[in-house]
Amino acid sequence: MSELFINGITSFIQNTGIAKLFAATEGSALAFAGVDFGSIVMLIVACVLIYLAIGKQFEPLLLLPISFGMLLANLPFSNLMHNVLFVGSGEEHFVMDFGEILHNGGLLDLLYLGVKLGIYPSLIFIGIGAMTDFSPLIANPKSLLLGAAAQLGVFVAFFGALFLGFNLMEAMSIGIIGGADGPTAILVTKTLAPKLLPAIAIAAYSYMALIPIIQPPIMKLLTTKKERLVKMETLRPVSKLERLIFPIIVTVVVGLIVPDAVPLVGCLMLGNLIKESGVAERLSKTVQNELMNIVTIFLGITVGATASADTFLQPQTLYIIALGLVAFSISTAGGLLFGKVMYVLTKGKVNPLIGSAGVSAVPMAARVAQTVGQKEDPTNFLLMHAMGPNVAGVIGSAVAAGVFLAMAKVL
Amino acid sequence: MENITQGAVVAVIGICTVFAVLAILWCVLELMRVVFTAKNKKTAKQAPVAAPAPVPVAAAPQEDDSELIAVLTAAIAASLNQSTYNLKIKSYRRVETAPVWNRTARRDNLNG
Repeated sequence: MSELFINGITSFIQNTGIAKLFAATEGSALAFAGVDFGSIVMLIVACVLIYLAIGKQFEPLLLLPISFGMLLANLPFSNLMHNVLFVGSGEEHFVMDFGEILHNGGLLDLLYLGVKLGIYPSLIFIGIGAMTDFSPLIANPKSLLLGAAAQLGVFVAFFGALFLGFNLMEAMSIGIIGGADGPTAILVTKTLAPKLLPAIAIAAYSYMALIPIIQPPIMKLLTTKKERLVKMETLRPVSKLERLIFPIIVTVVVGLIVPDAVPLVGCLMLGNLIKESGVAERLSKTVQNELMNIVTIFLGITVGATASADTFLQPQTLYIIALGLVAFSISTAGGLLFGKVMYVLTKGKVNPLIGSAGVSAVPMAARVAQTVGQKEDPTNFLLMHAMGPNVAGVIGSAVAAGVFLAMAKVL
Repeated sequence: MENITQGAVVAVIGICTVFAVLAILWCVLELMRVVFTAKNKKTAKQAPVAAPAPVPVAAAPQEDDSELIAVLTAAIAASLNQSTYNLKIKSYRRVETAPVWNRTARRDNLNG
């Protein structure tokens, strides 16, 4: 009787997380003298990120679920998430076994299927589409080119990553951070370099939150006072018909040229058409609020859960974070420099500052352009002009992602 | 080294595609604009709504009223549920001199 009792207690203790922490098997990352420092460090990192989300309000809507997902997944024995099921344990050609995932997967494994199958990013894009007003872009289509120029950082960071020794697929995923668009980065990374997903997602979302700090110095450095003072003409009114035709045209044009961008651009435009149509008010509200919020929770928590000690606590995470900053800065510079070209070509009618809004990050980047412009001249209202390149940037980074996905198939 | 050459190919194709796609969209949108502005010219007369400003606003510096006008436009747009593009403020005047009952009624209207 008493033996049974003691056996019961011993096996209970052996199955607690604490026991696991202090009885780490050799070979797991950062295990010394039987103590699993890897998991401990990950729990600390998770807490720091929770602090950044709540205390500093860095994109809290995403960072909070991400950081808590990280916490959950790194509790030993919690069995919520099994990365091995998705990325294998080092095999050359790993094939996911869906039956295995459904039978043995924990809660987060099942939710992660939505990331792995590319469902969440597209659903989020429906919501973003329904929240976006494309009329500044329709009124001033030139700004599409600024949205393209601000993808420069994507390709520069891609090169940087190659030089630092990442392989092509990983480099593409890192480069796409420069698109400043979370769902796009996640869609590319989960396909091309799933092991880097947590680092890339965290870098992308943190830098998006830091845009008001990253961009202004670059903007001041690259533009002259005279350029910053330019007041732009009021945008022409856009008719409802134009706003209805726009999403359809964009879907068809982009879809025909870069089919791999359709999951993003198509969903973005679907959301926009639902809103602009005016006949599906309920759907529009649902995709903007409930659907978007639900998916954001699932996306955040599962992306965070992929951060395990042996993939996250690596020097490459630091490289990714550094390259992300490079990508954001160069994208900003690309937009600004193209803005300067336009300033010259239009004989001073375009304020180059709006170019910096070509990095997606809607509407943060446009607000930064407005703030910097207003510092020079408080009566200058650049916000609506900057929204054009800003939403063009979303299309631009989705196209860049489509190109990467397409190239990855042939290389 | 092979990686870098392949990378160069990817980057060049990538940049060119992004620019090409967005440039094509630009052309399509310009085309759309030409078509629609041509059509709109016929019906142009109805469009601009000149709205006087019925909203009492705190004193603003008279020399530079562009900020005030922006505020007024936004307020009218919000209360009419319309885009600011359709509004053009031609003039505004303070209406605080109205009798107190008129003002109450107006406020009720705005709040309701």
